[in-house]
Amino acid sequence: MSDSGLVCSNIRVEYPEFTLSLDLTVSEGELVSIIGPSGCGKSTTLQLITGLIPCESGSIMLNGVDITNTPVWERNIGMVFQDYALFPHLNVEQNIAYSLKLKKIIKQERHERVARLLELVGLEGYGKRKIALLSGGERQRVALARALASEPKLLLLDEPLSALDAKMRKRLRQQIRKIHEATGITTLYVTHDQEEALTISDRIVVMQEGRIEQFNTPEVIYNNPSTLFAAKFMGEGTLLPHSLIPQTLVSIDKGPDTVVFRSGGETRQIFFRPERVIVHDNPALAFPEFLPHLRFNKTRVISCEYQGGQYLLECDWNGYTILAYCRHKPKNERVSLGVRVNDLVEYVDGVVTK
Amino acid sequence: MINKRRNGPGVATILDTSRFYRALSTPAMVLLTFLFLIPLSIILSKAFVDDAGGFSLARLRLMLTDAYTWRILRFTLLQALASTVLSVLIGLPGAYLLATYRFPGKSIIRAICTLPFVLPSILVVLGFVIFYGNNGLVNTLLMSMFDLEQPPLRILYTFGAIIIAHAFYNFPIALGLISSFWEQLPSRYNHAAMTMGARRWTVFRTVTLPRLVPAILSASTLIFLFCFSSFAILLVLGGGPRFTTLEVEIYRRARMTLDLEGAAALSLLSIAVTLVLVAAHLWTQRMMAHQEEIEAISERRLERSPRSIWGKSIAFLYVVFSVVFVLGPLAGIIYRSFLAPVSRSGDLAFSTRWYRQLFGLETVAGSPLGVAASAILLSLTIAAITAFVSLVIGTMLAARLRKTRRRSNISMELYAMLPMAVSSVVVGLGYYLVSSVFTGRRSLGVVLVVLAHVVIASPFVLRSILPEYRKIPFSYTQASLTLGATVSQTFWRVEVPLLRSAMATGAAFAFAISMGEINATLVLADSSIITVPIVMYRLIGSYNFAGACALGTILIACCAIVFALTESMKRSRHV
Repeated sequence: MSDSGLVCSNIRVEYPEFTLSLDLTVSEGELVSIIGPSGCGKSTTLQLITGLIPCESGSIMLNGVDITNTPVWERNIGMVFQDYALFPHLNVEQNIAYSLKLKKIIKQERHERVARLLELVGLEGYGKRKIALLSGGERQRVALARALASEPKLLLLDEPLSALDAKMRKRLRQQIRKIHEATGITTLYVTHDQEEALTISDRIVVMQEGRIEQFNTPEVIYNNPSTLFAAKFMGEGTLLPHSLIPQTLVSIDKGPDTVVFRSGGETRQIFFRPERVIVHDNPALAFPEFLPHLRFNKTRVISCEYQGGQYLLECDWNGYTILAYCRHKPKNERVSLGVRVNDLVEYVDGVVTK
Repeated sequence: MINKRRNGPGVATILDTSRFYRALSTPAMVLLTFLFLIPLSIILSKAFVDDAGGFSLARLRLMLTDAYTWRILRFTLLQALASTVLSVLIGLPGAYLLATYRFPGKSIIRAICTLPFVLPSILVVLGFVIFYGNNGLVNTLLMSMFDLEQPPLRILYTFGAIIIAHAFYNFPIALGLISSFWEQLPSRYNHAAMTMGARRWTVFRTVTLPRLVPAILSASTLIFLFCFSSFAILLVLGGGPRFTTLEVEIYRRARMTLDLEGAAALSLLSIAVTLVLVAAHLWTQRMMAHQEEIEAISERRLERSPRSIWGKSIAFLYVVFSVVFVLGPLAGIIYRSFLAPVSRSGDLAFSTRWYRQLFGLETVAGSPLGVAASAILLSLTIAAITAFVSLVIGTMLAARLRKTRRRSNISMELYAMLPMAVSSVVVGLGYYLVSSVFTGRRSLGVVLVVLAHVVIASPFVLRSILPEYRKIPFSYTQASLTLGATVSQTFWRVEVPLLRSAMATGAAFAFAISMGEINATLVLADSSIITVPIVMYRLIGSYNFAGACALGTILIACCAIVFALTESMKRSRHV
């Protein structure tokens, strides 16, 4: 099984004030995103895999071949750089054909391949254009075509959309996903945008300070973040002390779930996302679910931010701040909030507990 | 943030560990050491040798206690200071115009800014004599305009002549350096000061001027350095022992009184001063870089056309002034080369006599013009070889120095620039001492001249390539590597093509510098090695100014053709 795809075991590189150390296995044909705040080591990881930075220890295997000490130019790993790094002295076609020319592929085949790649990225007829005359989105696609030209076994994308505007980002990430499906190439995608990571990936690596915090599918990462860091990084949420549960728990005996309240130390905390919160204007109204839930009565709405499809409420309950999404604008200043116990994630010292 | 760390200290990236870049720079370093340090150490050792051949400080003590030494040094510093002040004063208003306004003739002034680095000093001297001399164009014009019997302007062979020639030669440095820095200053500070109630002059005095200080100092130190080691101008225009500088004295002792040890001791003094000047210049450059970093190119000043008549006429006058002041003498050289006396009374008329003599179609016994044709050939050969070798050395060094900010690399950069810190007269003296070891082979002499020129020219080549090299993003190199190119393939296919125009400029610089080089050549070469500037020097010495003009015109033409070629090369790349 570990014969195909990318296997990085215990790779490590040390800087004076920063150490990167990770284990990472990407299956063949998978699209994996690496996400984290700037300076967490995302780009360094890509550089290690390409060989632009030598590995101090550990090994990198690609499709069963140990490439730890292979020079960059022999690894055949395609990479799209953040600034695209298209060569300004070459035109679109020459940029894409750069690696083919190095491989001494005959002219006719080179032409055919370049034409096919341009079609793949939706830039037919752009071959003779100067790089300086392309828009940001076009450059990005040329960079992608260039990285794919030598039919690499692995494609690395280093924040490829960060220089583009929001609309273009959305369009291009769909296109990248489509191209990935068409070529089936194993892909590592570095981004700092959680929405991008969630939409595009098969699996997501959340990184912090040179370590992997969590490596799982987008759904698990979003709904069950294994650390508080991952939880906060992947989206909005509310963090409360675990000791609030006895005061707020509404247990419904008939339900299949029974709640076992574990008394814990000061460090035990609960976390939930705003879309899991149900908002009631009427304080007398019960929450309809036949399931155990937490109920926060007489919560004061501090702010109500309209976000297009919904409102984001910032509420105050006995000095604790709770975030909630709501379809309508609350009529009163005081509201009741409810969260199902199933939607709570518990952390001890920032690490998830079962 | 991550980028800083990636290239920060202690991190080995592929470029650091690449054997290719090391292989590229090592020979260049070794060559430069060989070319530069060996002659230099011979000079230094000569200074510490007594008559019996043993080590002694006696010669140094003798030099330092000699009142004559101090008189020369004082005069050298004084003329350099006066020339620097005048150059900066002339350059500053032009820098303001260039940085602020858009006006016709701007590109001419911009082109003038690079002139001092390539214009042969012998041409400056000749142009000065032709233009301002007693029988020069200015005097002739004034005499005919006001019906005067005597030339009103008698400036030749005075202190003023030296200063004005230096200013004419060097003010474009101040103009170029200060204006390019000025352009980068964001105008928001000025606007802020204005909103707080400062008038234009107050804004200039309290906001702009303090921020220009690094650029002004940088230009001043560079000009001071050039004027300190100026040689041909003082040799010819200084005229006598009254206006002798350190460099002239070194030449005199080495080649006329044959006091080699004395010349070596004085060289030591010269090197000490120039080292201080180069250090000061580098310090001002660091200041400039620091300020640029703070201001980080946010917005460029928008150029505008001068609004008032007053502004327009000042811009116009400045353009006319600099064109006449700088290009006038050069045009005078070309004009004068086509004039020859037609009658015994000395009336001048159009003639190609000097060119006929120059190319050997007409021979005049004893005229230095007889050897001019072979001198042109020799100069072209030397310049071509110098350009090629300096280009190779400069590119190799730039490849290594591209990623600096490392302590070891900064010292390497300083080391590569070191030849700039030693005046060309001293370089020439070093090679003269080397040549005295071998005797009498002309081919060897030519080789030594080429080597001396390479030492003088390669820092300029490095200076023109290195900034362009640093502009190439590392991601280009990295991208090429991931696309399957080895480090050397990346160098040839990505870096060299992107550097093409900088390399062409560097090579053209080296060519022009070698073509017009007279200081080192005069000190080093024996009578069998005759280059164009040396023939010109001899012609001026025998008062055959017109002949010198004809040769000077050819020199101008050669350099102009080379620069035109590089320009056309640059254009064809970018269209």
